[in-house]
Amino acid sequence: MANLSGRRQSPLYHVIYIEREREREREREREHRIILQEVQMKGPYHKKALTNTAVKQKRSQLFTQEAQRQAALITDIEKIEVQYDGQPENCTLIMNKGMSTPYNCAQHINQMMMERSVLAEVDGQVWDMHRPLEDNCTLRFLHFRQSDPYYANKAFWRSASVMLGAVLESSFKDNLYVELCSYPSPNVRSGSFVYDVDLKIPEWEPSKEELRTLSGEMVKLSLAAHRFERLEVDASVALKMFADNRFKTQQIPQMAAQSTSGNTVVVYRIGDFVEVSRGPMMAGTSHLGKVSIVAVHPIETNEAQLFRVQGVALPRGFLLNHFAYGVLEKRAQQMNSGRLPLNISSTEPQTQASTL
Amino acid sequence: MVMAVVAAAALRSSSTRLSRLLPGVCGEAWGHQARRGAVLRVLPFIPTQDPDVIKKMPEDFRAVYPEFLPGPKPEYRNRLREKLERQDMLARRSVMPIPEFYVGSIMAVTVADPNASGKNNRFVGICIQRGDAGLRAWFILRNVVDHQGVEIKYEMYSPLLQSIEVLRLEKRLDDELLYLRDALPIYSTFPLDMEPEVMQEGAPVPVNPIKVQLKPRPWHERWERKNLQGVMDLGLPERFYKKAKLHEKPWEKYDLMKEYRATIPEEEQADIFREISPHYPLMESTRRRGKRKRVLPSIS
Amino acid sequence: MNQAEIRKLIPAVRVAINAKHRKFSNPKGPEGRLTMLRKTVTELVKLERVELNYQRGDEARGYAERLIAMAIKHGDRHIPTMEMANYWLTEKQLVHKLFKVLAVRYKDHTESYTKLHKAPNIYPGFYRERVVLELKGNPFPPLEKKNSSHNWIHNILLEEAHQDYIRKKLKEGERSN
Repeated sequence: MANLSGRRQSPLYHVIYIEREREREREREREHRIILQEVQMKGPYHKKALTNTAVKQKRSQLFTQEAQRQAALITDIEKIEVQYDGQPENCTLIMNKGMSTPYNCAQHINQMMMERSVLAEVDGQVWDMHRPLEDNCTLRFLHFRQSDPYYANKAFWRSASVMLGAVLESSFKDNLYVELCSYPSPNVRSGSFVYDVDLKIPEWEPSKEELRTLSGEMVKLSLAAHRFERLEVDASVALKMFADNRFKTQQIPQMAAQSTSGNTVVVYRIGDFVEVSRGPMMAGTSHLGKVSIVAVHPIETNEAQLFRVQGVALPRGFLLNHFAYGVLEKRAQQMNSGRLPLNISSTEPQTQASTL
Repeated sequence: MVMAVVAAAALRSSSTRLSRLLPGVCGEAWGHQARRGAVLRVLPFIPTQDPDVIKKMPEDFRAVYPEFLPGPKPEYRNRLREKLERQDMLARRSVMPIPEFYVGSIMAVTVADPNASGKNNRFVGICIQRGDAGLRAWFILRNVVDHQGVEIKYEMYSPLLQSIEVLRLEKRLDDELLYLRDALPIYSTFPLDMEPEVMQEGAPVPVNPIKVQLKPRPWHERWERKNLQGVMDLGLPERFYKKAKLHEKPWEKYDLMKEYRATIPEEEQADIFREISPHYPLMESTRRRGKRKRVLPSIS
Repeated sequence: MNQAEIRKLIPAVRVAINAKHRKFSNPKGPEGRLTMLRKTVTELVKLERVELNYQRGDEARGYAERLIAMAIKHGDRHIPTMEMANYWLTEKQLVHKLFKVLAVRYKDHTESYTKLHKAPNIYPGFYRERVVLELKGNPFPPLEKKNSSHNWIHNILLEEAHQDYIRKKLKEGERSN
């Protein structure tokens, strides 16, 4: 605590401070706000500062609008037959085409399937739990405790990266406009999940408290139990959403070119955080159990000073004693060897994950 | 006193920890039952990895040194205590050799006695029973002195014992000779100055087939129900035998688990032998020397 | 007096047992108890898989284990073992099975010869714990599916950490050489 009482200011919101320090901080902020208000009142020509909160709201609004627009396209309800294969018994479900999701099917089966299923397997293809079913199909559910939960683990690692992105975007003060860059293809064996981010600070060595705060934010996000809402949107809509992010605007056209339809990308929303990714993601943030953000490594690129934020997590219900988990945390502190966004102008799309 | 209690608690908790480290020690928490009325489970014994450990154990180990086997009741077992006791027993044996003896052997025991004339007391008698395990092992000697039956119970590892001699090494037909209390005094009368008897080296321990004559009833126990081998015809009316017949339990010999719960498993016995095997040659040489001593006086 | 019986040398039973026997109140007393358990043991040897109450299954399991261990240790030329088999197996062809089939099957086993599975309760009923007792190596399809936890995420992470550690150690060794 003593070293925190020095000059150094944390860029995070929720860092624990000595009481006096916190008080001083508040005063300073109050002054700052008053100045800001004055500036805003002074003239209409003053350019409004770009904040993460505003950008997030905008993206979320666009997401809602697009979702409503797509929902309105379905004018009449068609029925499809879903052959469910698995516990407690095989059955056939009559669902709505383009509306019902595997999650809805699980709701018809039982609570346990609903809660533990991470992904669905539709006609042998890995499918998000909240992605509407498109035609007659066979359905299976995937979870973390199968004998080979490869896809579930991969989705978990990818979702943890995205959740880390959400936390990074919301945890910093408004004077820092955080721009998320990308994360490498999820690889559980690397020992850590990663998000590369432009924090607009030249250098930052986070203290233990700051890392713990970030971990706490991850836990809060997990406790909020948001769904991973999935939406397939036109590249133009995605570009509109991510107009304020210079990395994503470069990545979206490439991702769209690689997609099957040639001009669409997939966006996910958790709470009000929107992310463009190829997926698939796990069913909801509540699948995340024990989690810790352990390290932040600076990365030099030719365009900006980026930071590689790393963490390690376990799904909910996986109990590990603190020593073993400490070993994992220690390993996750090493610089992740995943692909670096070195040359941003020619960076590959952010997810190298195969569509399976 | 407080110190002792703390030490005992530490011992108990450390015994569970130690059980993980020691090879061949059962993994469960032995010692006192945690809850009253809780069912105590006995986990399977985990033997040491040595496949020949049972073959290395001598045939007569459990007969010659029965007190080295712990008592089989799981509620009283404590592996650490048993191990420490065995060490103490070996230490005591290195100071005062304890010879090989059986129920039916005639023995002489010298104990320290502050009130006796020479500060010690020697007693000769026939061993009618031996019992308990570990440091608490004991045996009872019986003799008739001045027409009065005398029985003394000696604790084998008591520091008061100065010497134990075996005057005549033999076995009887029964495991306990408690019926000598109701037998004619002649069968348990032995001279107090009895000489040690000759015995050939390497010969098996002889079984004395003597059948004793019991005094007429009343007796200490209903001997007709005990299936005794070493007594003459009891000469009772028929009704006694009929009643004895009713009290027989012929199914007990088929109760495999009852039999099992009364014994220490083979693998565990082998492990105990493995533990004391560094001291075993010394124990055997003392045993042989004891036999030779018995031979010497007859030569001279 | 707590003293081990030394007349017989008995191999250790390879399953957990109760420290005290269960009495199983029976009008014929302890003899009736054994007669009852005898039925279960005979059924087990005959059918190789039986479903019954936990208490009885667990008690009979010890007897079955001991009987098979005796058959393996002494073979069919040992009179006391033969008497024991004769008592515990009420159907005489099963005595043959014990010595010629089961003793041969479990000759080199290092683990228990039987297995006890939990079974679902009968509804509606008294909700006594039900179990399935079976001889290992029986010809029936297995009751429990094997679900390996090797690929679960924490095990993958721990295994990779272990590999990392080994690599580091090797490197250190090379450097010191």
